[in-house]
Amino acid sequence: MKKTFALVVAAALLAFPILAYSAPVKIGFINSITGKEAQIGENLTNGATMAIEDLKAKGIQVELVKEDDGGDPKNALAAYEKLVTRDAVMGVVGPYTSGCANVVASRADQYQVPLLVPAAAKEEITMKGYKNVFRLNAPANVYSKVLMDAVKAYKPKTIAFVYAATDFGVSTVKTAQENALKMGLKEVANEKYQQGQPDYRPSLLKVKALNPDLVFLVSYDADAILLMRQAKEIGLAPKAFLGAGAGYTTAQFAQQTEISNFVVSATQWTDDVNWTGAADFGSRYKTKFGKEPSYHAACAYEAIRIMAESASKSKNPASLRAALKAGSWSGIMGSVKFADYSGFTNQNNHPMLVQQIQNGKYETVYPAPFSKKKLVYPFKR
Amino acid sequence: MMTPPAIVPEALLPLEKFHYTRRITMSFLQPLLSGILTGGVYALAGIGMSLVFGVMNISNFAHGDLMMLGMYLAYFAFTLLHIDPYLSLVLIIPTAFLFGYVLEKLFINRVINHPHQNQILLTIGLGLIMSNTALLAFTSDPKILTTSYSSSAFNLPGGISISVPLLLSFLITCVIIAILYIFLSKTTTGMALRATSQNREAAQLMGINVAKMSAIAFGLGTALAATAGALIAPTYYIHPLAGHSFLLKAFTICVLGGLGSVVGAGVGGIIIGVVEAMSSTYLSSDWKDVVVFVLFLAVLLFRPQGLFGKMGGQS
Repeated sequence: MKKTFALVVAAALLAFPILAYSAPVKIGFINSITGKEAQIGENLTNGATMAIEDLKAKGIQVELVKEDDGGDPKNALAAYEKLVTRDAVMGVVGPYTSGCANVVASRADQYQVPLLVPAAAKEEITMKGYKNVFRLNAPANVYSKVLMDAVKAYKPKTIAFVYAATDFGVSTVKTAQENALKMGLKEVANEKYQQGQPDYRPSLLKVKALNPDLVFLVSYDADAILLMRQAKEIGLAPKAFLGAGAGYTTAQFAQQTEISNFVVSATQWTDDVNWTGAADFGSRYKTKFGKEPSYHAACAYEAIRIMAESASKSKNPASLRAALKAGSWSGIMGSVKFADYSGFTNQNNHPMLVQQIQNGKYETVYPAPFSKKKLVYPFKR
Repeated sequence: MMTPPAIVPEALLPLEKFHYTRRITMSFLQPLLSGILTGGVYALAGIGMSLVFGVMNISNFAHGDLMMLGMYLAYFAFTLLHIDPYLSLVLIIPTAFLFGYVLEKLFINRVINHPHQNQILLTIGLGLIMSNTALLAFTSDPKILTTSYSSSAFNLPGGISISVPLLLSFLITCVIIAILYIFLSKTTTGMALRATSQNREAAQLMGINVAKMSAIAFGLGTALAATAGALIAPTYYIHPLAGHSFLLKAFTICVLGGLGSVVGAGVGGIIIGVVEAMSSTYLSSDWKDVVVFVLFLAVLLFRPQGLFGKMGGQS
């Protein structure tokens, strides 16, 4: 009798938490916590942490299962498979890099668990018609399009490409070449480099000898600083340096004022844009983590928020997919809607921003409705 | 319709010829110089590894991580103690030597007479512990060491520019190699090290304390790795995994120059630096590793012992 009573008590204790709170929504998050892209990965992690806190304040309990891919597509795929089979998550946010996201996206329809890509730019990810793959950020072609639109009025004639031999670098430059062709720009140099080298001077010297009006750069993390340092050293000074996202949009890059001043970059988000809560997110992030948020942090924040809010109202991954497809949101990334247009499936048609570093601070300079400052052109040291 | 002028004015020809030759010399001399300067630092990394291999017959897979420690030492000396990264070598070299010496006494000497795979596993393990501890302690944020001269250059006539930090690190490398050369050829300890490198057993029979020589060699190797790290820190970025890309380079340099040969490693480093710079100039920087390794394979094919290596070696 005593034993039965004890069992009943034990069962009641076990059941109690479930009765007291609604069960938390289980979501997976694949990110580059280690490896070459770890610094940007940390921004995504911080954004996700803030999203979980804000959701909690709104009464949505989220259990976020974090997985590290180390920037390696096969780890990313293993992480996704683990999340959907062992952890039985409702949906997955991530992975960060284009290479990883592209591979995971190709398997999402097989497991029928929605994948929301927060910040990977390779166009292919949402161009294959996958039903379970959604993307919040603008794809690679928009990076170069918006950058070139920003300088179009100044009528540049020639362009040189310097970029990392990664999925992001190659796909961004491929579309940039198409955009350059439409604008009538002449391509004078195409320098693809392997990441993490100590000496980029030979490539930069080749570019300098051809004296292009625009230098279009795609680099991750610290490579951006290295390239700009060596560019200054050899005296490369085109009319504008156009940096496509990633390494040219970090706070650390802006701090190197000697080399980063007047560099123009494309970004998915800034904290001075007039989207709901963007400024507030920026200041809260700075207080919490002691540094400026990059666009990656905002992307991760919004992706987790959209995923968790939709998942909390859905019963299973299939109904979550329907909710993501039908829903529309407004928040720190502006208005979000996953639509099918010009070859894309479930792609948020996100307007990108052009920013320029002016006195160590990123200032939004294009498009006009979102910007307060004017573009400084031509570039000067 | 405009028709192009039929004849180029005579007076212009010499000037154009001058510009043309100038461009050609510039595009050849510039990468040559920058390759030699970068190669100097590679050489330093290679020499440390070669010394350890020569004396102890151990391939040190933790070499890249020891370089990384040197980078962080230089970084913290600069940010916390406000010492110039090149001056901080005065502190870094003895610290790293001591660290290497202790490392050898605690771990490495236990595998010295064991199969190579045990030695490789041990050094890989030590390297992993170092890089992951650095990842925990210093986070994965790459640190940038910005000195007042980080992006400055000397401009030579003919449009050639020489990076100030690269030139400084090259000069320091030369001084260190010279000191190392004098130490190895003139001092008793240096000669004992070379004797141990040539034949461990015979050296022991001659009364040389080979265990102590091993510890000194590993200490020197560590000090050289850390120095290479500190020298590259002002022109590179500092990251817990930054050593890995240099490990492969140091290996290539050692094998190219002949395993165990200090001179070989020095020459090997310069060769790799120049080949990299030349192939990025004339081909594409995407192809430079291909060119380096094709050259590497060619050397191994025709001179399996490396450029300055001795045939056979110790068993």
